[in-house]
Amino acid sequence: MIDSLSITRTLFEDFRPLAVTIFYAIGYGAIGVFLWGTWIQIRKYRYGTTYDVAGSLISRFKQMSATMLTHRTLVRRDHAAGGAHALIFFGFALLFLGTSTITVEYDILKPLTGMRFWYGNFYLWFSLVLDVAGLMLGGGLVFMMWRRGWLKPPKLNYARPDRSPTDPDYDRSGYRIEDWAFLWSLLIIAVTGFVLEGMRLVWLQSRPEVWDYRWWSPIGSAVAMAMRGVGLGAETAGTIRSGLWWFHGLIALAFIALIPFTKVKHIFTASASLMLRDPLAAQRLPRVPDTQESVGFSYITDLNWKQLLHLDACTKCGRCHEACPANATGAPLSPRDVILSLREFANKTLASGTLPDQVELDIHGKSPGQVSMETLWSCRTCMACVEICPVAVEHIPIIVQMRRKLVEAGDMDPLLTKTLQTIAKTGNSFGESKRKRGSWTKALATPIKDARKEPVDYLWFVGDYASFDPRNQKVSQTFAGLLQEANVDFGLLYDSEQNAGNDVRRVGEEGLYDLLATANIEAMKNAQFKTIVTTDPHSFNTIRNEYGDFGGTFEIEHYTTLLRDLLTSGRLKVTKPLGYRVTFHDPCHLGRFNKGYDAPRDILKMIGCELIDMKRCRDNSFCCGAGGGRIWMPDPVGVEKPAQNRIREAAWIEGLEVYVVSCPKDLTMFEDAVKTTGNEGRFVVRELIELVREAVASPVVLEAPVEELA
Amino acid sequence: MATKILVAVKQVIALDEDFEIRADGKDVDADFFLRDLNEWDDFSLEEAVKIKEAGGEVEVVVVTVGPEEADESLRKCLAKGADRAVRIWDETMEGSDSQAIARVLAAAIKHEKPDLVFAGVQSSDHSFASTGIAVAGLLGWPHAAVVNQFDFSLGATQAVIRRELEGGVLQMMNIDLPAVLSIQLGINTPRYASLRTIKQAAAKPIESWGLSELSLSASDVGEAGSASRVRRMYIPEKGRAQMIEGSLAEQAAKLAAIIKEFKGASV
Amino acid sequence: MSGILVIAEHRRGELRPVSFELIAAAESLKAAAGGPVTVAVVGQSPEAFVAALKVSGVDEIITLAAGSGDFDPDTQAAAVSAAIAARSPSLVLIPHSVDAFGYAGVLAAQGGYGFATDVFKIESDSGAWVATRGGYGQKVNVELEFPGKAVVLLTVRAAVYKPAEGSSNPTVTALAVPSVSAHVRPGEYVEVSQADDVDMTAAEFIMSIGRGIGEEARIPQFRELADAMGATLGCSRPIADSGWLPKSRQVGQSGKTASACKLYLAMGISGAIQHLAGMKHVSTIVAVNADPGASIFSVAKYGIVGDIMEFGEELKTHF
Repeated sequence: MIDSLSITRTLFEDFRPLAVTIFYAIGYGAIGVFLWGTWIQIRKYRYGTTYDVAGSLISRFKQMSATMLTHRTLVRRDHAAGGAHALIFFGFALLFLGTSTITVEYDILKPLTGMRFWYGNFYLWFSLVLDVAGLMLGGGLVFMMWRRGWLKPPKLNYARPDRSPTDPDYDRSGYRIEDWAFLWSLLIIAVTGFVLEGMRLVWLQSRPEVWDYRWWSPIGSAVAMAMRGVGLGAETAGTIRSGLWWFHGLIALAFIALIPFTKVKHIFTASASLMLRDPLAAQRLPRVPDTQESVGFSYITDLNWKQLLHLDACTKCGRCHEACPANATGAPLSPRDVILSLREFANKTLASGTLPDQVELDIHGKSPGQVSMETLWSCRTCMACVEICPVAVEHIPIIVQMRRKLVEAGDMDPLLTKTLQTIAKTGNSFGESKRKRGSWTKALATPIKDARKEPVDYLWFVGDYASFDPRNQKVSQTFAGLLQEANVDFGLLYDSEQNAGNDVRRVGEEGLYDLLATANIEAMKNAQFKTIVTTDPHSFNTIRNEYGDFGGTFEIEHYTTLLRDLLTSGRLKVTKPLGYRVTFHDPCHLGRFNKGYDAPRDILKMIGCELIDMKRCRDNSFCCGAGGGRIWMPDPVGVEKPAQNRIREAAWIEGLEVYVVSCPKDLTMFEDAVKTTGNEGRFVVRELIELVREAVASPVVLEAPVEELA
Repeated sequence: MATKILVAVKQVIALDEDFEIRADGKDVDADFFLRDLNEWDDFSLEEAVKIKEAGGEVEVVVVTVGPEEADESLRKCLAKGADRAVRIWDETMEGSDSQAIARVLAAAIKHEKPDLVFAGVQSSDHSFASTGIAVAGLLGWPHAAVVNQFDFSLGATQAVIRRELEGGVLQMMNIDLPAVLSIQLGINTPRYASLRTIKQAAAKPIESWGLSELSLSASDVGEAGSASRVRRMYIPEKGRAQMIEGSLAEQAAKLAAIIKEFKGASV
Repeated sequence: MSGILVIAEHRRGELRPVSFELIAAAESLKAAAGGPVTVAVVGQSPEAFVAALKVSGVDEIITLAAGSGDFDPDTQAAAVSAAIAARSPSLVLIPHSVDAFGYAGVLAAQGGYGFATDVFKIESDSGAWVATRGGYGQKVNVELEFPGKAVVLLTVRAAVYKPAEGSSNPTVTALAVPSVSAHVRPGEYVEVSQADDVDMTAAEFIMSIGRGIGEEARIPQFRELADAMGATLGCSRPIADSGWLPKSRQVGQSGKTASACKLYLAMGISGAIQHLAGMKHVSTIVAVNADPGASIFSVAKYGIVGDIMEFGEELKTHF
């Protein structure tokens, strides 16, 4: 009967004591290097400004753990990569846990208390689990190698849109080499681990306590059988084992020591980044503290420590690069490259104990590591990047803060400058007199209440485009009609309403935003109402998420939820189910920003439309290109615009009749794009409100039904 | 010795929608006034600040003649780089025309003793196009109007300027300094003053002068000191085009017909 | 003080047309002025212009030899001052021109005259002059009077009065001008570089675009439209200032006058006074603008309210 105590692996078997000492010395050395490297990273983050983490760290840790264990953020939009990463992650984690378990017994429990547990059944199950873990790790790695080397997905193309081949920091081969080195070194560790297992088995085949239980290490056993099959003897196996042991050990220790210096650090930086995640990072931008002298980010040390950490969390997965509408249409912006540039810059300037002169810390420009004006102005602040990043990097606040500095310096397109001056003067981007804000209501049979003079249930915040743009004025009139027919008690602020400021803020004119928000909040506070409703997703976002920081907390809903309620409660009755084949474009500021994906779809269903979603829908909706102030900047001539790209996507839907939007800027951008892409006559663009109007009984039809236009 | 550039600016008035003439028929009802810095002054101030930023000891002083509301425009100038701002006003200055304003500005210049004076070619509200040059006339200074290029070195006694004439023609000229120049649009690209810098400029003081500081009397200003007097202000009857109605297609067709008829007739 | 003094303006050896408009204005006011109409011309060799100035309504031509041949404000002010002193007119008319910007204010300040600029209507009310000019960005008309001023100096807007024609037999007098130190020395003229060989002043059919087009990217389609219709493409000042079209295509006060134009199509142009100066004389003006309140509609013969992009495309289908 074999004593279960002997069913185990003797560590350092047949090693001279000096060898063991040397090994431990190297081991501690490796740990030392690891700790020192970690310190350098932490010292780098400390150069950043302060940041207060909201909420309890414990609950954040729990959330982060759940996210990591489920790999929720990694499987999104790339199940294969997510799955393979899970294999690597769990394989590595198990192997690490396993080694730690052995250490606990060998280095702590046994010497101190004589206790042992790593033997017998525990040891056997342990061996099995770890073999499987090693297989998972190896399998995942091989898949990733194949993906990177053969599949070559576009998002792993590191070519930069913001640099030309002659620029010194254009070449990305350093990153590529690092990526492959990472994969190969881990794979070598895994493979040599298995070979080592096999060698030991062959070497100790004469011991029944080893050989009889070999299949508890199935891979190692397979290797052993194969080696024996080709005639490997026990003694030779022992020699190979000795050499391979050191090889495997040294590579593993080197790997660990180099973690803080290589991509492998994402193990820590990614999890920390996830733990510090601000779910409203893009929706609710930070105020400029009153005490602050300068505005926005001029230097790398203006970033707060959490943002410096974000820079290190990025693993170049390319999801943001792929999702960005500016990048997709050839603009010199890739969110990935903004982060990587700044990371390179931080590593160059913040790597030592002393800070270089401030002038060398300037992150604006075209030198290596800097971000250019053209890059920053290309951003649509659509938050596709922030939304999809698996490690919770928050690109948008960094871009907007850098824009704040550009605005301060006046480095903007002249058209944008003009628009900001117009908004400052007239409170709207059209330059119209404030008195004309309510002019669109004159076409209505029944006047709309003035919420400044009498209390109402709903305060309708209309927004610039819906008030002044002729096409959108029609939509406003239609919506007013629907509300009146449903007997909703609502009113307007008329000429006390100004531009809500969402895009002004995202352009970086924080002073103007302050002015607008404060004025609007004052007007709202002087009015009496229960809830705000708005037809403009941009206004919706800023009032909902940002006005609170300026002293205005109000209940607000987007018209889609209100209309849905009116339809479900029967206050609006569908008398003519439309039967159109439609697709729905999720507006960035309603969908991604505020998770408002369902109400519009429910409405479309209720009015009898056949909805065929585009591939890039819901959280992956493709921005029309007007956000971030881009509607106030001219587009480069001769290049495809995001709206055109999007319409072409819709055109793939067979038999599409209506492209449905629920945002005034979308309506403008897409109607234009339908014409310029040559799709006029194939399908039309309609605001959801207009479709509801068609489907609901009404005495007067304000908009010609879709069929008549075809 | 610092070079002082004095920039005379004006807060102009634009009229809001559906404005009405005042009961006395001599001006528009002030309820409809929209105030802003004169567009030309963006350019003249920018030209002065550019000289300052080119190096050397330069002080830029903006001066305006106007009531308290004009402080807002002065703050904008301070935000854009002016070092000091002065507002001159006295109730008796109400009703001053271009010549009376020029008299006040001339007194201010005697007080400030600048080395250069900039003004805009005209103001966007009343477009007299003469105030700046009239100041030069009162002081006997060299002057030139409609300048769209100014090559200046600190301490120089002459400068090369370029005038923008009618019909797209430009003319180079050489002028003695110190001088009064009226600056034309397009001479430079005025910088953007962010709302924040304007707000911060609110902390800078605005000097306030009246008649006594400038040794002027009530007869020098206001209607008494003006070269003209408003008899009546009225909204002119505008001629009206014959509007072509109809759908877009109909309108285009009608216009195309007009064009073709014209071309047929002129062949 | 009686009579009217008109200051003729010339440049590069040619009398400017506005001089004749002012002579016609003076002729129409002669009765009220109770005195002759005198035309003064200042220059290095002013006699060269005398023959051309012998048009209907002129009683006397004064030549003032001074200066270098090109305008300089100091010489001009001194010469005109001398002419006023010599003839004591009750009304002095100067064109509202770039040259006048340079010296009219000086003259008025130094002489203490009644003074108004850019006037487009002059009347006499019981022997007192009343001038009308625009106000608040040309949104109102302002009537001005000059109580207690023996001499009234007015700068007159161009293209308001029809130029004087016919002939007359005025006396010609040469007046001496006191020497004056000229602080401004005129130099060479610079023609705005002709990026393309277009002569706006000769085109009969012009299509001009203004701020209403929105973006530079839209210029090509309007260029195509102009080509398709056989029109010369022009623009308002903002377009040229932004560099979207060469300056040579700018129509307006500081651009070109559409002198030969008979059909002017203004797309997306609001009708600022400076642009009107270059085209409002055209016999048929058609304006297309999204704003029904745009001032261009008050000078246009036909107006269309609409989106100029859409309209432009629709219009193109007819050519």
